[in-house]
Amino acid sequence: MSPAEAPILEAIEISKSYGTRLALDNVSLALRPGEIAGLLGPNGAGKTTTLSILATLLRPDSGRILINGKPPKTNGHGLGRMLGLVPQSLALYPTLSAAQNVWHFARMQGLSRDDGTECCKRVLEEVGLSVRADDPMDAFSGGMKRLLNLACGIVHRPPVLLLDEPTVGVDLQSREQILMRIRRYADAGAAIIYSTHYMEEAERICDRVLLIDRGKLIAEGNLEKVISLGGGRPRIELTYRGQLPKGRFGSLAGVREIGAAGIEGKATLEMNSLAQVAEVLYGLRGLDVNVIDFNLHSPNLSDAFIALTGHTLRDQVL
Amino acid sequence: MLRAIWLTVQNEARLLVKDPIVLFMLLFAPVVIITVAGYSLGSLYGGAANSFRLPVINLDHGKLADGIIQALRQERAVTLEMLDDPGEARRLVSQRDRTPIAMVIPAGTSTAVAAGRQPRLILFVDPVRRVEVNALELRIDELCRRVTDQARATAQVRIEASGKDLREKIKRLSAEIASEQSEIRSQIARTQTALEISIRTQIAAAIKQVSDATEATIKTRERQAWADVQQQLSQRQAILLKIQNYLTQLQSSHRAFEDWLAKLKTMAGSHASDIPPPPSFPRPISETELAELAKPVTAPKLDPTLPATASVAAFSIKIPKGPELRDGNLIGDLEPFQAPQALTLPGDLGFVEQPAVVGEAVTVNAFDQYVPGFGVTFLLIGMMLGIALTLFDERDWGTLKRLQVSGAPLTGLLLGKLFARFIVGVVQMVLLFAVGWALFGITLGRNPIALIIPTVGISFAAAALGLVVASISRAHDSVMPLGVTISMAMAAIGGCWWPLDFEPGWMRELARWMPTTWTMQAFNDLMIRSQPPSAALWPFAATVGIGMIFLGAGLIRFVSLDD
Repeated sequence: MSPAEAPILEAIEISKSYGTRLALDNVSLALRPGEIAGLLGPNGAGKTTTLSILATLLRPDSGRILINGKPPKTNGHGLGRMLGLVPQSLALYPTLSAAQNVWHFARMQGLSRDDGTECCKRVLEEVGLSVRADDPMDAFSGGMKRLLNLACGIVHRPPVLLLDEPTVGVDLQSREQILMRIRRYADAGAAIIYSTHYMEEAERICDRVLLIDRGKLIAEGNLEKVISLGGGRPRIELTYRGQLPKGRFGSLAGVREIGAAGIEGKATLEMNSLAQVAEVLYGLRGLDVNVIDFNLHSPNLSDAFIALTGHTLRDQVL
Repeated sequence: MLRAIWLTVQNEARLLVKDPIVLFMLLFAPVVIITVAGYSLGSLYGGAANSFRLPVINLDHGKLADGIIQALRQERAVTLEMLDDPGEARRLVSQRDRTPIAMVIPAGTSTAVAAGRQPRLILFVDPVRRVEVNALELRIDELCRRVTDQARATAQVRIEASGKDLREKIKRLSAEIASEQSEIRSQIARTQTALEISIRTQIAAAIKQVSDATEATIKTRERQAWADVQQQLSQRQAILLKIQNYLTQLQSSHRAFEDWLAKLKTMAGSHASDIPPPPSFPRPISETELAELAKPVTAPKLDPTLPATASVAAFSIKIPKGPELRDGNLIGDLEPFQAPQALTLPGDLGFVEQPAVVGEAVTVNAFDQYVPGFGVTFLLIGMMLGIALTLFDERDWGTLKRLQVSGAPLTGLLLGKLFARFIVGVVQMVLLFAVGWALFGITLGRNPIALIIPTVGISFAAAALGLVVASISRAHDSVMPLGVTISMAMAAIGGCWWPLDFEPGWMRELARWMPTTWTMQAFNDLMIRSQPPSAALWPFAATVGIGMIFLGAGLIRFVSLDD
């Protein structure tokens, strides 16, 4: 990826309302070839609306979309070749075979008969489904369906790929396969927007994170930047024997007790840095705390996500 | 757009092949329903698709009863069950699901019919099974009429044979009478001639006798009269002679006076003029004339011959004729008796159904109605499944959105789906007609190819209707209730399940706005009424027109929902 490259996909100050509810509020973003941008946000934050607008399925109330520097309409029939969408739900024909599904979307996305045949064969091999190419999709496992869903979105090798939670409900092996394919696809030069609720996935494959909440882009940047925006600190989670009086950890320097205080035999201590771990464990021994087990936790994207979006359940709000 | 349509058509074909339920709905289900409806409701069209058990109690045992039973045995739709007890027949009818009707042939039926009376069969009926009862009653009524007609025809034959025999006898008699008449006429003629000759001879003799006597008398009297005239004339002739002498003397005296006078005048000299003229004497009769008086009278000569009398032969003796004998043509006199009304039994007023169009069938195979009718019904339902439901499926699956991202216009995707289902609809109807022809012997009309006209029209309209239903349904689950309700209503009102004439006027008015109505009209015209293909053109135009309205409304509504 070369950050200096011109964006292949741009959203400029887009807004969208559903009735009186503002779903997107003046959001701008840009995506360059070879880049994977994680689109994160709680439920109802506006991720799907953003993806729909980027995929040209929805028209924004204001703002505009540029694909390759041009409005989508000016791309005409070539728009299908430019964009690939892998929706969260399986956008496949259940009764058709894997090959027939891929073939149909390949043809619809502008490939010729010959190219379609070749691309179908290639993409099914890439996602590991070539041996089941003639089996109907509804006979596949969840992971295979997800792989097929991905295959249909990338069969025509679009330079812009929009992925909406492509790993929901799949087993670990399938998830690994999917993430590996996505990474490889980006490395091959595609610009990818990856919408997910799995923060660890975003941390693993995304070059950049777009954190959206209540229709606003509240954080944007690389992982370190967004994590730091969350303001998180390293933590040590302790399991000990017996009962301790309240405030027993207050004598430890540079440490603050957080979390579920009062739970018998459990405590979480926030530190200024991981370098304090040895010092803290030594101090606990001095306080006659019989530690059985402990876990260390560095600040991550989930922390930043919670810190930036809060703990409120959005589904209830909605 | 065209690429999207074509690729969608291909994909729809793949989806259809992979969907056995839809294939079942498209082909197998219609055939099942058509079979059930055709055999169950065939009697509505005068057919006899059902088979009924018919208990019969024959108390008559006459020829007529045998004829009725024999005819019933030949009815394919009737399974005859002969019983002896009317009570048993009543029980069979009153027990549910046993038989809708039982028949009793009362004793004396055959005799009564033969005697010209009108006996009645007794039918025990189950009022709940009125449709079956009506169908069976129609069959029995027809059989009775047939048997009665047969009896009447037999009687008529006998009457005609008797009449023929009678005519032969009359003819023979007539010939004999004619011969007798001829002989009598000859005898009369001969008698008349002889009589005439005899009279003529007698008259001639009498005339001759009278004539001779008359002639002799006349001659005698003539002679006597003439002698008397001669005598009188002789006396008068003597006197005339004396007058003649006097007149001669008078003439001499006249001349003497003339001489005297002349002498006197001469002697008078100058006084002669004073002498008055003497009176004039009449001019005397000439000597010749006087001489005539002196001639003797000649007696007139009479023709002694008698005037010629007509010969006896010239007489026309008219002998008055006796009363004229009539001709001996009894056949002519009996002609009025040979007239059919005189020699035939009174006819039975009935009717014969004639096709209004030459070549059209009078009886209708119920499947001619039900194959297209239920074909259209399942076509509509198929469109609900194939278009409305699968559009929701594609929405739910997300494939529709995904295809839109590919750049394919939504209108193109919709038209592709509609076109694919339109083709499926046409194929479905063609296959149903083929099955209907092969299994149920339906009529395909003058030109079977013409059936494609209404098929194309309704397939188009139904496909467009499927889009409308997809666009107005609020959710996947509401498609079938809404779609099936609309389909069923359109099929029912449009005359797919029963003839349109069964419906009240306001419903028939409403039906004019349904594509099903026009389609069924076209199918009926082509199949049952044997109309030419041109008869289907106007219904086709109406169907397509309604389909265009559906299409426009569906596209606008669906695309606006997507926006």
